Amino acid sequence: MIGPPIRRGRLAGIRRVFAPIGEARGLPRWVLWAGIAITVLFVLLAFLAPLVSPYDFDQYRLADGSRFTKQAPPSSDHLFGTNVMSTDVLSRVIYGSRTALSVVVIAVVFSMSIGVPLGLVSGYFGGKLDRILLLFMDALFAFPYLLLAIVIAFLLSETIGRGVMTAAIAISVVYVPQYFRVVRNHVISVREEPFVEAARAMGARPRTIIGRYVFFNVVQNVPVIATLNAADAILTLAALGFLGYGIQPTEAAEWGYDIQRAIADAGAGIWWTGLWPGVAIVLLVTGLTLVGEGLNDVLNPVLRRRRTEPVVFPEGPETPQESGLPEEPLNR
Amino acid sequence: MARQTTSLRKYALTRLALALPIVLLLLTMVFLLMRVAPGDPISAALGGRLPAEELERRREAAGYDRPLVVQYVEYLGDVATGDFGTTVSDNRPVMNLIAQNGAATLELTLTAMVLAVLVGVGVGLVSGRFRDTPLDFGGRLFGIVIYAAPIFFLGFLGQLIFGKYLGWLPTSGRASPVVSFELDTPTNLFVLDAIIAGDWSALGDILRHLILPATTLGLVIGGVFTRLVRVNVLQTLQGDYVEAARARGLPERNVVFRHAFKNALVPVVTVMGLQFALLLSGAVLTEQTFNWPGLGSELIRYLDNRDYIAVQGIITFVALVVVAISVLIDFVNAWVDPRVRY
Amino acid sequence: MEASRWLRVVALASVLVLGMAACGEGEPAQPEAEQGATIIHGTTDPWQSFDPAGSYDLPSWNIIQNVMETLVTIEPGGDTPVPQLAESCDYDDPQTYTCTLRQGVTFHDGSAFGADDVKFSFDRNIGIEDPEGASSLLASLEEVEVVDDSTVTFHLGAADSTWPFILTTAAAAIVPSDTYSETEVQSDQNVIGTGRYSVAEFRPGEQLVLEAYEDYWGDPPANSRVIVQLFDQSSALKLAVEQGEVDIAYRNLTATEIEDLRGQEGLEVIEGNGTEIRYLVFNVEEEPFDELAVRKAIAMTIDRQAIAENVYNGTVEPLYSMNPVGLAGHIDAFADEYGETPDVEGATQVLEDAGLDVPLDLEIWWTPSHYGDLSADEYTEIQRSLEESGLFNVTLESTEWDAYTEAAFTGQYPAYQLGWFPDYPDADNYLASFYSSDTFLANGYSNREVDDLIATEKASTDQAERVAAFEEIQRIAAEDVPIVPIWQGAQVAAVREGITGVEETFDPSFVFRYWLVGKAA
Repeated sequence: MIGPPIRRGRLAGIRRVFAPIGEARGLPRWVLWAGIAITVLFVLLAFLAPLVSPYDFDQYRLADGSRFTKQAPPSSDHLFGTNVMSTDVLSRVIYGSRTALSVVVIAVVFSMSIGVPLGLVSGYFGGKLDRILLLFMDALFAFPYLLLAIVIAFLLSETIGRGVMTAAIAISVVYVPQYFRVVRNHVISVREEPFVEAARAMGARPRTIIGRYVFFNVVQNVPVIATLNAADAILTLAALGFLGYGIQPTEAAEWGYDIQRAIADAGAGIWWTGLWPGVAIVLLVTGLTLVGEGLNDVLNPVLRRRRTEPVVFPEGPETPQESGLPEEPLNR
Repeated sequence: MARQTTSLRKYALTRLALALPIVLLLLTMVFLLMRVAPGDPISAALGGRLPAEELERRREAAGYDRPLVVQYVEYLGDVATGDFGTTVSDNRPVMNLIAQNGAATLELTLTAMVLAVLVGVGVGLVSGRFRDTPLDFGGRLFGIVIYAAPIFFLGFLGQLIFGKYLGWLPTSGRASPVVSFELDTPTNLFVLDAIIAGDWSALGDILRHLILPATTLGLVIGGVFTRLVRVNVLQTLQGDYVEAARARGLPERNVVFRHAFKNALVPVVTVMGLQFALLLSGAVLTEQTFNWPGLGSELIRYLDNRDYIAVQGIITFVALVVVAISVLIDFVNAWVDPRVRY
Repeated sequence: MEASRWLRVVALASVLVLGMAACGEGEPAQPEAEQGATIIHGTTDPWQSFDPAGSYDLPSWNIIQNVMETLVTIEPGGDTPVPQLAESCDYDDPQTYTCTLRQGVTFHDGSAFGADDVKFSFDRNIGIEDPEGASSLLASLEEVEVVDDSTVTFHLGAADSTWPFILTTAAAAIVPSDTYSETEVQSDQNVIGTGRYSVAEFRPGEQLVLEAYEDYWGDPPANSRVIVQLFDQSSALKLAVEQGEVDIAYRNLTATEIEDLRGQEGLEVIEGNGTEIRYLVFNVEEEPFDELAVRKAIAMTIDRQAIAENVYNGTVEPLYSMNPVGLAGHIDAFADEYGETPDVEGATQVLEDAGLDVPLDLEIWWTPSHYGDLSADEYTEIQRSLEESGLFNVTLESTEWDAYTEAAFTGQYPAYQLGWFPDYPDADNYLASFYSSDTFLANGYSNREVDDLIATEKASTDQAERVAAFEEIQRIAAEDVPIVPIWQGAQVAAVREGITGVEETFDPSFVFRYWLVGKAA
């Protein structure tokens, strides 16, 4: 890699991995920061929910017993209005971010901890294990993810009941193939590298090779996948909530479920019960995607653009020629 | 074309042969998934409706008391012959259900796909061509934001604006009840049937019902297309041959339109195939939001009624369709670009 | 080149599509003159089965009453049975009821109606004994005797003065013995009766089309075709009736939606005087509902007013007895026993006296669509009032109707939501159905005294005696609390201008008689 030399020292590997971020210029960097800002906002909302939110997510009256008005439009008391259950929409949006992020973090961690090791092992050892796993993951990947998530969520809800865990498991199963494929492909290309050959020749055990050499080379891809994965997972969670297979509404506030109740309101011209949860979803998913895309732009060598000096040719005769170029590209 | 590339026929056969293990794997997954459900399909759906002896008799007749392996083999055999069974809760042949509601889903997804390609390719091309300009930024943002918007949220907005405030469009069903009953539907693709019957007012009614759901789904998928097309365009525009064309002094317009775009679009077909799974997932949500009687809403309905035979039938069908589409896409790719063949 | 050509294609296509759409804009296909009108009824309530032996829910029974017929029936607004398929009926003695059948009646498939069809229909209903069916209504029947081709005698196991009423219900609808199976519930694709309408088409989960039966023995209906369209969500139904896609929106618009429709141009909101009730059933054999103190405490804590106001916008009334207001013998038994408003102190005391630790864990089941979209909110309100008292921890669970009834009526739920529409306008239909020892509720409640009282009122024709029995049953029921009544409401529909006959059919019988509905041209 071209660039300023990385100092030796602790975490040199990790720092080498993230070095390109500091070097990138132009749009990608801007995009990345915008995404980070949005994501951090929601993370803060999730953590500080009890402090930031005006009311509890299922609170329908004040301490003195007076009930909130049902389906009240936005006002100073209820900035985003109230919904059909007399609960405050703003509070539900804030607590909804807590639900979304907790489920999604669990789901991403699950997916990663299954997909990455499987990809490493499968890619490094190859052979029959690799072929079987690849077939299995391809099949899983090709299948419409939502149908799979619905059926799994439904079956799980029959056995372990509906809750954060059920939703998280249903979502995580769907994303395992992505990690697997990306890691596996990268491992396959890396394992032929000379330094890996050398390590093998020195007699290092596969565990060392994978752990010390291959892993850090491969892990560069994972954050991008993880962020885009998280963005998708939020959509999947909302979809499950909308269809009624997600979290129990009494357990936590969930954006998708709120929108499902809001569709009935749309017919009566009540727009605030559905608009705000929807906007929240769009914002958070956009934020996460921007982070992912930004990371990708920055880390992906094919598309990376660096600051370059413009080349200036000396003045000279211009001879435009209409020459026949091959219709087929040469380097595909 | 180089002499070394395999013939198309050989490729097709190889590809089909490769599809078989995937089909088998998927079917096995579906089979196991359905057996994980508490109880067997008959008990689950009929449960307390029948006295215990009758229930036992039906279970035996349907073969649910036999060892799992035997059931598995029979399941595979049934699928091969196209026998998907009969639903438990309303005694309907599953093939029947698939044909009728599948056509509804097909109509929705086809229209949505067309819209998605138009929107996605259009925006993606513009975005890639004018890289790093506000146009590109706008295009990218569109792609990201529109995908971030859940289908049911867009549906909610659509119903609010076009249904409630403007009152232009209906928000549920494929057609108004009268048209739905009176129109002869041999293909069950209402648009087609209306054209065949020459019933123009019915066609108008059907299109009015189709616009919101198809546009909602199409926009979201289009967002995904945008990003993929854009990346392809960028990669193509960086290619050597394009640099060469530029170096020769060709006007940029020529370079872009004649050389870059055509090649950037070759993978669109592949992309369409890859998005198929996404399309089906989106279809389920769209059908629920707009009360569209397709396979997605039927799946939900039968699932809620614990009719696992119907659910198994629908999911099996979807798995087969998915594999078929991927084979088809690969085939088209190979036909267009011989270097892809093994 | 490529791109601009595409742009042109896209533009052309969009113009075409929009043009097509504009062509179809406006109302759906116009019906012809009034007599040949098509009525479109939009509903969110799905059907269970069109077989009298296979269903006990309102939407299914509505269809059965339109497509099939009973020996006697209740006229719109009436309260006593009058002959329909029978020419005349009478008691020979308190346990024997004989009917002379009408001649010249044919089924939709052309076969003749006769006494063997009557015997067949009752025998198969009792024989099939489908848990989702209404064979429990026919409990009094011992044997149906075919005297001759046009005379039938019902031998009852005990004196039952309500038997003529039972004969008016859909459970007593007559099916053809030639085509229907003796042991299985008939497929909905093959429905045959003698009624004013035959089923022209049925698409499960979507649409049901009824067409006037040409060879009907009586007066023709006020329309020639009825399309019943099923909607997934009440909001879609509301929009459909606003835009004129359906003529009648009946069951189940939410209170909010009804409010919005009231006063809208071109629409009319019609309210009936029926008695639909909602209640909470306890399985008295399952913890913690096996403790009387728990049941009493819940009855004292539920806030009916809150539900009526907050969930239903005041369109329903709090209910204090399982025998609703409007039927003879009604007393506000629960109000007399526990007061009209929640009494948390009293409930706390009751639990303390019984030595039970609070808060108690309760599991309550409800069903999402069958009783309308507001069920979710109703049970959230119930949960709120119960938990606010500090005495209970409530977990809510839900299942869709099909699986729900199968589980509820086999005693699998500890406490569950249920509703009731009258099968016939008599307190017996409510009290006997809920409180007898072999109640279809399968909740384990059994009280000898109540059973005796039920037998007394069934056997008696003396109104005063029956009313006394009803009142005593309600008092005992309020003490034993196997069920908590919650609210009672009437029918409400939104119809487009020019639709007639809906007010007429909105009577206590709750039967939606399509044949009365007309459309002004």
